[in-house]
Amino acid sequence: MTSTAGMAPPAIALIGIDKSFGPVHANRNVNLVVERGVIHGIVGENGAGKSTLMSILYGFYEADAGEIRVDGETVRIRSSREAIRHGIGMVFQHFMLVPPLTVLENVMLGAEGGALLARGARAIRRRLAELGREYGLEVDPDAIVGELSVGLQQRVEILKALVRGAEILVLDEPTAVLTPAEADQLFEMLRVLKSQDKTIVFITHKLREIMALTDRVSVMRRGEMVATYETSATSPPELADAMVGRKVILKIDKGPAHPGRVALEARDLVVRDDRGVARVGGVSFTLREGEILGIAGVAGNGQSELLEALAGIRASSGGEILINGRPLALAQRNPHDERRIGVGHVPEDRHRAGLVMPFEACESAMLGFQHERTYGRGWLYDRKAIIADADKKMGAFDVRPRAPLLKTANFSGGNQQKLVLAREIERNPKILLVGQPTRGVDIGAIEFIHKRIVAQRDAGKAVLLVSVELDEIFALSDRIIVLCGGRVTGERKPDETNARDLGLLMAGVSERAA
Amino acid sequence: MSPIDRTPPRLDRLRIPPVALAAGFAALAGAALILVSGHDPLSAYAEIVRGSLSPESLPDTLAWATPLVGMTLAAALPLRGGMVNLGGDGQLVIGGLVAALAPLVLAGPGPFGAAAGLALAALGGGLYAALAAWGEVRHGVPMLISSLLLSYPAVGVTSYLARFPLRDVATGLPQTLMVPLDARLPVLTGALNAGSLLIAAIALAVVVFDRRTSAGYELRMRGKNARFAGYGGVRLGRQAVGTMFASGAIAGLVGATLVLGSQFRFIDGALLTPAYTWSGLMAALLVGGEPVGAILAALFFAALQTGGFAMQRETSVPRVLTLVLQAIVILFLAMRQGIGRRT
Amino acid sequence: MIGSLFTPFLFQSAAQAITPILLAALAGVLCGRVGVFNLALEGQMLAGAFAAIVGSFLAHSALVGVAAAMAGAAAFSLILAYGATVFRGDPVVIGIGMNLLASGLTAYLLRVVFGVSGTFSDPGVVGLGRIAIPALAGVPVLGWAFARQSAITWAAWALTALIGVVLYLTPVGLRLRGVGEQPEAAGALGVDVARYRIVTVLVAGALTGLAGAQLSLGAVSVFAEDMSAGRGWIAVVAVMLGRNNPLYAAAACVLFGFADAIGVNLQSRGLPNQLTDAAPYVATLLALVVSHRRRSRFSQRSRKPAPTAGEAAAAHRRGGSGRKA
Repeated sequence: MTSTAGMAPPAIALIGIDKSFGPVHANRNVNLVVERGVIHGIVGENGAGKSTLMSILYGFYEADAGEIRVDGETVRIRSSREAIRHGIGMVFQHFMLVPPLTVLENVMLGAEGGALLARGARAIRRRLAELGREYGLEVDPDAIVGELSVGLQQRVEILKALVRGAEILVLDEPTAVLTPAEADQLFEMLRVLKSQDKTIVFITHKLREIMALTDRVSVMRRGEMVATYETSATSPPELADAMVGRKVILKIDKGPAHPGRVALEARDLVVRDDRGVARVGGVSFTLREGEILGIAGVAGNGQSELLEALAGIRASSGGEILINGRPLALAQRNPHDERRIGVGHVPEDRHRAGLVMPFEACESAMLGFQHERTYGRGWLYDRKAIIADADKKMGAFDVRPRAPLLKTANFSGGNQQKLVLAREIERNPKILLVGQPTRGVDIGAIEFIHKRIVAQRDAGKAVLLVSVELDEIFALSDRIIVLCGGRVTGERKPDETNARDLGLLMAGVSERAA
Repeated sequence: MSPIDRTPPRLDRLRIPPVALAAGFAALAGAALILVSGHDPLSAYAEIVRGSLSPESLPDTLAWATPLVGMTLAAALPLRGGMVNLGGDGQLVIGGLVAALAPLVLAGPGPFGAAAGLALAALGGGLYAALAAWGEVRHGVPMLISSLLLSYPAVGVTSYLARFPLRDVATGLPQTLMVPLDARLPVLTGALNAGSLLIAAIALAVVVFDRRTSAGYELRMRGKNARFAGYGGVRLGRQAVGTMFASGAIAGLVGATLVLGSQFRFIDGALLTPAYTWSGLMAALLVGGEPVGAILAALFFAALQTGGFAMQRETSVPRVLTLVLQAIVILFLAMRQGIGRRT
Repeated sequence: MIGSLFTPFLFQSAAQAITPILLAALAGVLCGRVGVFNLALEGQMLAGAFAAIVGSFLAHSALVGVAAAMAGAAAFSLILAYGATVFRGDPVVIGIGMNLLASGLTAYLLRVVFGVSGTFSDPGVVGLGRIAIPALAGVPVLGWAFARQSAITWAAWALTALIGVVLYLTPVGLRLRGVGEQPEAAGALGVDVARYRIVTVLVAGALTGLAGAQLSLGAVSVFAEDMSAGRGWIAVVAVMLGRNNPLYAAAACVLFGFADAIGVNLQSRGLPNQLTDAAPYVATLLALVVSHRRRSRFSQRSRKPAPTAGEAAAAHRRGGSGRKA
């Protein structure tokens, strides 16, 4: 494949890029060289720092340290306007389009030319037609963007960059929102662009796409750039290893599981997101008392929607959920009723759905249970009882500081999470749904939380664990199912599998690695 | 959140409470305005303090504070749940007129008339406010605007009734007949009457509701995170209508206590001239509807306004200046809050 | 009876009533377009009306009065321009605060500067002349409405057209629409979102100043406390009904203007003004109900549940573009 063309400087060189957000070190001394006229893939797990790196390249963030070179020249990119001037175009995972405007208007926005729109519009209309012919990027310039399919919207994003003279095109998880057919079309387009000497940076976590499309691939892990390969000289297992790394598997004292009867069953469950796209496409599984079922998968493959549907927050649009063998009436479920029938839910995003940050800790500790008798005498809450209850929960879960009157927002992430766990677990649910229990949680708290979850299992509870952290899945699960693209791609016992095998399943390769 | 958002400029890292900062800023701006008028700011401010907090003026301040606290509570309750009731004026006059008529129309002893007047005033104001909430819940008509717009016909119709069909023709003024003596609220001392006790009881009830009941908890949850309130099993539509009913009922009661306690008849315009609704709304906005803070803010505004009379009398600085000071405080805090929001 | 209602005078007084509401609504449309929900129209207009009187009184020139109104109202709008952008204040709270500030400040300055309370008029204040176009006078409807109107009335309609052209036919307009609908998208293309918002709010402020000048220098040369008298709120509704489109908002203003004029007309036939004064508000409310009922029926296609009260309020608070919430 194309390789360094002798003397030509690389299209992009990132040297020693470093970026922290508060305590989170998102990019550590990252180096990346992208040659002109190649498709360069960047892979990594969620949170590996890929998007941060590209946001720095596009001027959304400024790096704390490091240097950016475009075509061999050191540049400073402080805004998207400057990135555009240096010939960098970006296609975001969440499109930066104005839905009520037409394609033409979206493309023109910010690059209109002329005092009236009409003059610039003629020129851009011509340019769009040219680009359409050249690269197979046809799209009706007068269509309203909001009414286009997702694939066509993405095409508009690409056109926006090309009209602005982009020589370097960065695509952030471009296939996450596409159907397979649309993804194939996109790949075709990108190959044509490459043949016209455009440089393409393709960010993904899907190894299949890396192998199918890219010339080179760089792997990021935990904010660091760990390796760069010629795609033809590497393999999915090697990449999966590099992505996951040889992590220290957290050890948990965990006896064998003693699964009892089926507590929760999903049959052909279909769940759609807010835009009506099916994110869970016919998932079936059973969860027994006394076991931890881990749901592994790269973020965005339907596990969030699955968890929300099971917890009653999101309506499911097909299939069945059975709790203790009794089907739930899907239409009028709500989280309140689910709590009453013994389903506890630790949501993935505690900020959005788990806690009310301005509330006192004791008030956050009663969310969802505010009608319980324990909190009051008759009409009135008994403030002492509320505080005592919170204090008890905080003690049992070692929430620090043990201050029921402190504002929720003032606790560290780990302690906030322990507070949520305490609230849901102390209520003694029969089924416990846990999403990303240790996201943004410090090491010490992770161990504590893991022990608690295992203790729930040992007490005969049915535990469903959704996590994007493979070590967590390994450390806790008695059984693992893997989701990819909203479907189950495999089921494993933790002692019969390894990170590479799961990584392949997560990447949608259904066959067991040889 | 989104990468384009510019981080706001950091204000001082001094730990001065924002309310004090805002009041100080308003005092400075006010001083400049007083200087423009050719007077001495210090003596003007001294008159405000003396005219509101000295032992002889304190009862006046409390009397003035009664309706202001009431309207503050009416504004604070919806605000606590992230809703805004701009229609206090309409609910106030409905309550006032209903209370003025009830003792005249209903047979029975005076105290019964007064009690009926209070109850019907609360009902009338409450239903009128609930109408705006119902419109939003059922038809999506934004309550923010509809509550305000509903105010105008209420004010117009009550004004018409007081001027024409229900007018006390014996006087030359646009007002209804006097309420019988035994249907008036008993006087406590000087300017204070039982209406103040009623408002104090409502204030206590609102504070207890806010802090100690599950409904109050759910309302606060809605205010902080409406989506989560839905997750937590709160019926949002019913909550909106109920909250607005309570808000309007309090406004109606304020009208009733003014009519039965101090004016003894419905006088066209008399309930609205002091702009209790807007001062109350500002006091509530100042603290995001938190009842105790709102009540304190209302007392502060009441002192400011009562002191304003003294200032105007003694230094001839127009007392409307106090309205300016209030507005500056609220604007300053609105922006200060915005700066602090992302920390 | 109905026929006799629609006299030339009715059209003239309607055209006159429309002017300040229309100008304020245009200001609201501009702010709404860039995603700043403007509830301060009432106060901005009042500030403009006061500045107009001061300018005209000091310079004995209506033109200076108008210039002072635009400058004064724009300066007053700095509070919203920076408060709702750089300082991230809640536009609803800022709007309410600004309305009260304008009410208090104009009343205070009225006493301090002119030494009067309530109303101020003076022979030194030069009002706006009416542009009489005899040729128009005979033309039905249009002639009735526009034969004798102030320059500001003419300007209001010219500005409606101009703003329509700017919004839909120029790059600036495209950017404004982009900034309001999807600030992230506009920002990603290098449009300075905050700057566009600030400038737009200030320009809108100048328009409300023009509206204020029409109030105090238009029909009569008087300033009265709180003389905006709810017109700003009607303009807010016109903006909502017109969904930030200047032409639709203008149509809503015409409706209110006629409701107002008919109210005045009925008053002259003996109906008490307490009732007729409420006419434009009732018309506004009805229009609001009808439009939302129709809208909710049409939006049945989208499977989204109706927004809850809190969400709708939050959407309005965010900047009036509840549609995409």
